[in-house]
Amino acid sequence: MREPYPASQQDPGFSIEALESLLLALLAITAAALLFGAFLALQGHDALAVYRTLYLGAFGTRFSLESTLTQAAPLLLTALCTLIPARIGLLVIGAEGAVVMGGLGAALAGVALSDAPGAIGTVLTIATGALAGGLWIGAAGALKHFRGVNETISTLLLNYIAIALLNHLVSGPIRDFSQTLKAQSWSIPKSFMIGNIPGYSVHWGLLIGLVVCAVLHLVLRHTTLGFAMDILGGNRRAAQMTGLPIGRLVLFACFLGGAAAGLAGAIEVVAVHGAASESLVVGLGYAGILVAFLARQNPLAVVVVALVLGGISASGGLLQRRFDIPHAATTVLQGLIFLSVLASGTFRGRLLPRRNAP
Amino acid sequence: MNNNRTTAPPDIEVIDLCKRFGAVRALDRVSVKFRAGRIHALLGENGAGKSTLVKCLMGYYRADAGQVMLDGQQQAVLHARDAHALGLGMVYQHFTLVPQMTVAENFLLGRRRLPAIIDWRVEHRALDEFMASMPFRLDPRRMVATLAAGEKQKLEILKQLYLGRRFIVLDEPTSVLTPTEADEVLTEVRRLTDAGLLTVVLITHKLREVMRFAQDVSVLRGGKVVAHTPVAAASEPSLAKMMFGAPSSVEKPEPSRKSASATHDPYLELERIHALGDRGTPAVIGVSIGVRPGEIVGIAGVSGNGQKELVQILAGQREAHSGSMRVGGHAFHGTRRELERWGLSLLIEEPLVNAAVPSMSVAENLALRQFDRPPLAIAGWVLKRRALRPFARALIARYGIRVGSASAPLQTLSGGNIQRTVLARELARAVRLLIMQNPCFGLDVAAATEIRRQIMRVRNDGAAVLLISEDLDEVLDLSDRVLVMAGGRISYETDRAGADRYEIGRHMTQALARLSA
Amino acid sequence: MTGTFDLGWWGVLLAVVAGAIRVSTPYLLVSLGETLTEKSGRVNLGLEGTLVFGAMSAFATCYLTGSPWLGMLAAGVAGSALGLLHAAICNLPRVNDVAVGIALFIFGIGLAFFLGKPFIEPRAPMLPGLPLGNWSSNPAVRSAFEVSPMFFFGIVLAIVLEWSLKHTRWGLILRIAGESADAARAIGLRINRIRTLATMAGGFLSGLGGGFLSLYYPGNWNEGLSSGQGLMAIALVIFARWSPMRCFYASLLFGGTAAIGPAVQTIGITEGYYLFYAAPYVLTLGLLIYSSSPTRTLAGAPAELSISR
Repeated sequence: MREPYPASQQDPGFSIEALESLLLALLAITAAALLFGAFLALQGHDALAVYRTLYLGAFGTRFSLESTLTQAAPLLLTALCTLIPARIGLLVIGAEGAVVMGGLGAALAGVALSDAPGAIGTVLTIATGALAGGLWIGAAGALKHFRGVNETISTLLLNYIAIALLNHLVSGPIRDFSQTLKAQSWSIPKSFMIGNIPGYSVHWGLLIGLVVCAVLHLVLRHTTLGFAMDILGGNRRAAQMTGLPIGRLVLFACFLGGAAAGLAGAIEVVAVHGAASESLVVGLGYAGILVAFLARQNPLAVVVVALVLGGISASGGLLQRRFDIPHAATTVLQGLIFLSVLASGTFRGRLLPRRNAP
Repeated sequence: MNNNRTTAPPDIEVIDLCKRFGAVRALDRVSVKFRAGRIHALLGENGAGKSTLVKCLMGYYRADAGQVMLDGQQQAVLHARDAHALGLGMVYQHFTLVPQMTVAENFLLGRRRLPAIIDWRVEHRALDEFMASMPFRLDPRRMVATLAAGEKQKLEILKQLYLGRRFIVLDEPTSVLTPTEADEVLTEVRRLTDAGLLTVVLITHKLREVMRFAQDVSVLRGGKVVAHTPVAAASEPSLAKMMFGAPSSVEKPEPSRKSASATHDPYLELERIHALGDRGTPAVIGVSIGVRPGEIVGIAGVSGNGQKELVQILAGQREAHSGSMRVGGHAFHGTRRELERWGLSLLIEEPLVNAAVPSMSVAENLALRQFDRPPLAIAGWVLKRRALRPFARALIARYGIRVGSASAPLQTLSGGNIQRTVLARELARAVRLLIMQNPCFGLDVAAATEIRRQIMRVRNDGAAVLLISEDLDEVLDLSDRVLVMAGGRISYETDRAGADRYEIGRHMTQALARLSA
Repeated sequence: MTGTFDLGWWGVLLAVVAGAIRVSTPYLLVSLGETLTEKSGRVNLGLEGTLVFGAMSAFATCYLTGSPWLGMLAAGVAGSALGLLHAAICNLPRVNDVAVGIALFIFGIGLAFFLGKPFIEPRAPMLPGLPLGNWSSNPAVRSAFEVSPMFFFGIVLAIVLEWSLKHTRWGLILRIAGESADAARAIGLRINRIRTLATMAGGFLSGLGGGFLSLYYPGNWNEGLSSGQGLMAIALVIFARWSPMRCFYASLLFGGTAAIGPAVQTIGITEGYYLFYAAPYVLTLGLLIYSSSPTRTLAGAPAELSISR
């Protein structure tokens, strides 16, 4: 039996847990950076110079900042495909497939609605993409709830099915044969495309992503729905005994996560490519999983993490030009950070002293 | 096979054993002599030190001071392997068997040296031979998952013998057995000790078992040995006195108000509920129960007869595949609105696993029932986080929950305080139907008394109360009506006046005997 | 495949069978490796990264040394190194093995592409195949029946593993680590060590699977080499319900399905190429839906696996 503590009248304004999370994240990133530096040094590169270039390529100039933001923008949304189901205890890795379905949905909608006025067309196109992504992952949620199919495996499989579907459609049935560079679908009307934020070379997708993350944070933290999700994620039995509608929560969380990733895919079509093609399959989904985990399933932290990872990706080109380091180096660094952060999780609860320590 | 039956069972003595965990003295100069070839019972309440004593003996803990003697020679038991080498073995409360492996594989796993290649024909034959010389036997080819609890317990004991252990500690061996199975197992164990094959230490809280099967008994309280006596010179009352130090200090609940329950319709109605257990076999079979306002209906029974599954159905954690449940005359589906409307509260066992969220704070856990209503929510949608803390503080004060800060995660609290938290959450509302499962399990006397007082208050205020408990005394003390659940069915019903302990006990087993025939 | 047009539908059948054997080999190797890992109670989603890294290591080593067998060895060693990394991190308390697997997937692929950049253009000597079709004069039949010894290695391994799980001490120890960590600890086994060795073995086999891809079929190294075979194997193991022999049959099935696409192309059916490609995934999903139940864990799943809970 533990020693009882006298009831205190004061509660700390911050939580020890949050502080510890931050410390651990910093330690982990430092460790990863050191390992990466050693790895580069072994290859004969000047690690410090590489780091300086990394920073330069990510945040050093206006151009690099814009590249970073462009890279980060889709990650803000694809991370949510893992984040939202994770809040209720599900491990979904289907963002890649949801992005593809979102892009397909947007392309098809855009073509089908080509007579609509510009603004409405844009909105409907994007909405269709989000819907497609939502239904895709929502299906996995339904399989989980009604058939007990493990969501990690099912969304993994759905990724490949979506990609196969994309390849099939884009190489035949909806192919725009006038484009000879690569196989792509019919293009959506130019009037549906969204441009850049005035004054910057970053498309509006960034703002959409930021708004979605902010709204999500409000919902998760300050609504009864968010609280219910926390209960379900914390202990399913407790959720059952307090009468929460578990099936509805599972379907909703999966749908919402899929819709976010689908939205990212739709934005890729509407802001960048104008059509669906294999350019949708560039690892946005898997990077999103990474962001979600590093952000510890917190939507506000997602913004910060997406910026950091976006920065690393953005500096890849500069690294390649300056040091002749393959672009894959940024992937290596990201992988190292991920591994390091996961390993650091073992120190949670043991790094800083607790008031109610056992 | 290291089954040398000519080795005599040892004499084990512990002298002045001490063990501290932080500030707590779990063992305080404990000296006990376990004589060869006899069953020695260790009695004591939860936390008295029985488990710690045997774990030191078995090498799972290292004692801070004291000696362990085997046949007069001092031994250093620093590790479980040392204990095993000396022929000491232990059978735990939870089975250490691997369910997805066969009996034979489970036997082999404990051996110190397994052959690199296993010839199952040879091994099965050897096991059959071994079993032939034992008072009870099992088919080595069976999958452990298909064994009944009693068979698993026997398998655990057989395993110890197979591995050549001559000194065996049985830690609450009958807690998951029916009275019949318990009798069987202990009779066989006694036969083994009488035949000079074993020395047994029996940890139990069941005085009847001690009186019937053990030969010596030591009573521990607060880490000290307070008494040691041959069973022949003891009696149940004298043992109880030694354990608790005074006549039973559990308060009898205040005499209940004469309730008009006989004229009311049942508030909770279960009709022919059928449900499957985790293994896919029927666990609840045609259960029909009615509980009227202002009455306590108690369901007695040995653990493992469907009570857990029944509570899960009532809590919405398991689906009944047929039958109906009505509350307040209406069909009940377990939605949040219904829980609120019918005033349903649940006190389930192991609250941290079944009824609370360990990672959420105390304040958030206290809000589980009310978070979508004023004062904690606006229009059912917006959550006012700032209102959580005053709401929690009021409950913390009222129910005496000892916690440093309301935002501490629930899992950092002690077991008793976790239980108080859940109690506060469930009872601090208008309760019209209270369902409880083993409410006083693992609690000290003061906490148990407090809970019983709350239960009577709720009942006297007109709520319908369903009490499901494995503690027969608890059921008999509190209930207006007593039901017995055995083999998934309700097998017996009686009211308070006509409740006879032996009759009820008989029904707890008779139904099983009928089923297994 | 030249010459099949005169065989018509027999040519298709031939192509499917040959394709099944060829395509199934990496599936077989990786799934056997993952079966071992999961039997010990861990799930390694990083096998895709291990596969790709193994492929790169094999090709690079073979190119630099001229020996494809040395390349295969290098692939296995590289794979087990990544397996060791996975196990080391997962051994730390309270680390989620699914997340580590995904991290390793990203890391492994990144590392493979990074170190493998210089090897994309050049050609390296290939693994020899066993010419089992020399009884025929038809070149199509001959090439169809040229089978890699790795395939036979896979079959033998499947049989040996299936038998060993029940009849050897190591098999028993492996299974207990995956069924009940408590029971294993109670008899003094070091769970982390068992799981580490099992994961390294799984990594070794996955590396070999990757080596097969780069040194036999399709027989080159580039960044699009793997189409998800590593992750596919996870599904395959579940499909095969953690039995090595069933892994063999399932690998053939998946290999055959994947081979239908290219095979029917040769007789002029070009539509739906990608849909055939999706067939194994759809099949696995279908079977998963069929065999899952909301109330019970998957039959045969090691109880300690995080994804079967």
